[in-house]
Amino acid sequence: MNQNLYQPINGEVVDIIDESPTIKTFVVVPEKPFRFKTGQFVELTLPGEGEAPFTPSSSPTQTDKMDITIMKAGRVTSLLHECKTGQKIGIRGPYGNGYPIDDFVGKEVYIVAGGVGLAPMRSLFLTLVDRIKDFKSVVCRLGARTPDDFIYKNTLFGTWQKIDGVNMKLTVDNANGDWKGNVGVVTTILSADDVDIKNSVAVVCGPPIMMKFTTLKLLEFGFKPKDIYLSMEKNMSCGVGKCGHCMIGKYYVCKDGPVLTYGQIEKYPDIFD
Amino acid sequence: MKTVLVSELKPFLDAVARQMELYVPKETDGHYVYRRYDPSAAEPPVLNNIRTCTPIKEFLFPLCELAAVFPEPVEPEEIKPFAVFGLKDCDLRSIEILDKVFLEDEFEDPFYVARREKMLIISSDCFEPRQSCCCTLFGGKNYAEKGFDLNLAKVRDGFVVEAGSDKGKEFLQKHKDIFVEVPSEALAERDSIRAQTQKQLEENNAEYKLDGPVNEIMEKGVDSDVFDIESQKCVECQACTRVCPTCHCFYLYDTKQKNYFSKMKMWDGCMRLAYAEVAGGANPRKMLGDRIKHRLMHKFSFFFDRYGIDMCVGCGRCIDADSHKMDIRVVLKKLNEELKDKPKAKVAK
Repeated sequence: MNQNLYQPINGEVVDIIDESPTIKTFVVVPEKPFRFKTGQFVELTLPGEGEAPFTPSSSPTQTDKMDITIMKAGRVTSLLHECKTGQKIGIRGPYGNGYPIDDFVGKEVYIVAGGVGLAPMRSLFLTLVDRIKDFKSVVCRLGARTPDDFIYKNTLFGTWQKIDGVNMKLTVDNANGDWKGNVGVVTTILSADDVDIKNSVAVVCGPPIMMKFTTLKLLEFGFKPKDIYLSMEKNMSCGVGKCGHCMIGKYYVCKDGPVLTYGQIEKYPDIFD
Repeated sequence: MKTVLVSELKPFLDAVARQMELYVPKETDGHYVYRRYDPSAAEPPVLNNIRTCTPIKEFLFPLCELAAVFPEPVEPEEIKPFAVFGLKDCDLRSIEILDKVFLEDEFEDPFYVARREKMLIISSDCFEPRQSCCCTLFGGKNYAEKGFDLNLAKVRDGFVVEAGSDKGKEFLQKHKDIFVEVPSEALAERDSIRAQTQKQLEENNAEYKLDGPVNEIMEKGVDSDVFDIESQKCVECQACTRVCPTCHCFYLYDTKQKNYFSKMKMWDGCMRLAYAEVAGGANPRKMLGDRIKHRLMHKFSFFFDRYGIDMCVGCGRCIDADSHKMDIRVVLKKLNEELKDKPKAKVAK
């Protein structure tokens, strides 16, 4: 028989990191080295319970284990949140296209992310930083509901901001504690002067409402629809463009995405619903 | 030996059944459904005048199947050769559509491949179309010209049998004792029945004829109210997606057994409310009208954009199945009328 598309490989959760009240990062060791491109996703099976799609948040250069950051949002993710280290899991993939990093060379990469949308961005960020000289700059505008809701706090508030070639600004919807930074949704820290728009690409990931208003803002700044890369979240199930659940128009988000440019999908209704 | 005549069906079907499992249409309540062929049955076999009620996809892509076992994978059960008799041209075209999806380059579905390779396809001409049959509206015909191993056409003195593949030719060669040479009058008779049936189909569907390619009409009609208006008749039974021979959405789910876990693959349909819902509860198609629109857009626009053919064969099964008589032809015709003067939709590149 040909290789079975639906067969997961085995893996084990070796560490669980609490990122925020609703988000945890699971460090997963697959039974054999697992290669993926940044932005691609995997289908994670909790045996006997169900499967759900996640984009690894670790760097693709690391193939012996990967980090998967998961927000408690539905049935499978809630069950995953109850898991302990040592939990056996299944992994299918990697699926989809990932970020076209080579097309970003020589440009400014404008990353806008919110909430758990920072998860795929971390993988992208680590990949870009590995070859930071290839890009004119990496400009990050990141948001969370409250300071506690930021994930990857240690690196986000520390080392990442000090990397040469990286320009980072953070914001929260609601401040608490000793937060000194900006307060407001992520679009309040976007400015047309952040990057040289003609020589930039924008990469957006976050909750649908945030993606919608960020895209509108970027268009207003003068970004071309083809230069706005959106990490789409739909109901990806089979991962190989057959089962139909994740369709946006003619595109299967699982196979043609999950990274689609706004230009590809702007004509379809309700893309941010 | 490519075209021959057989006077009766029984010796022909018996010859097939001696080689492999054979499924034939059986009439129940005015519809045909597939049943295992029984050579010892008292009643002689009949040739179905039209397509079966159930879709042919069930032979290639069963309602529910085991897709994976883990943590220790197991080899799936071997598929033995089998034959299906009485497929019509619409059924053959539905297989062509499913092939596009399940035999796609690096993403071949191994279960579909296994069944597809082992299936002997014996099609036959359609000679008494139902009112719901509309293949001619969607580029099809009442008789098959390709996609079969063997094709039968009923004539006065028996059945004209044509081989359409090497498998079919081998069969004719192997069983040449049951066939006779086909007289030219029989061929002429077959062609005349074909033309007559085609004419009847065209007449039945004359009122639904569209003024342009269906994919252009769909694309232009994306903002039309027709879908919302039609949705008022729909009771969301999803029968349309079940009986449709080209609808191929499926649902993967996990089960826990005593010693292993399994992943199952089961038919699903885009008319179901939670079909496209994500974990957080967002759902791009909460409204029924939007789901009807998506289903038709997939059939006539998205699939065409991707694979160059429409995802509808005009078999009319969905029209028969719909308890409130939503008719795909009427929906398209309404769009056609509404959009006659509207310029072509802008297509994003």
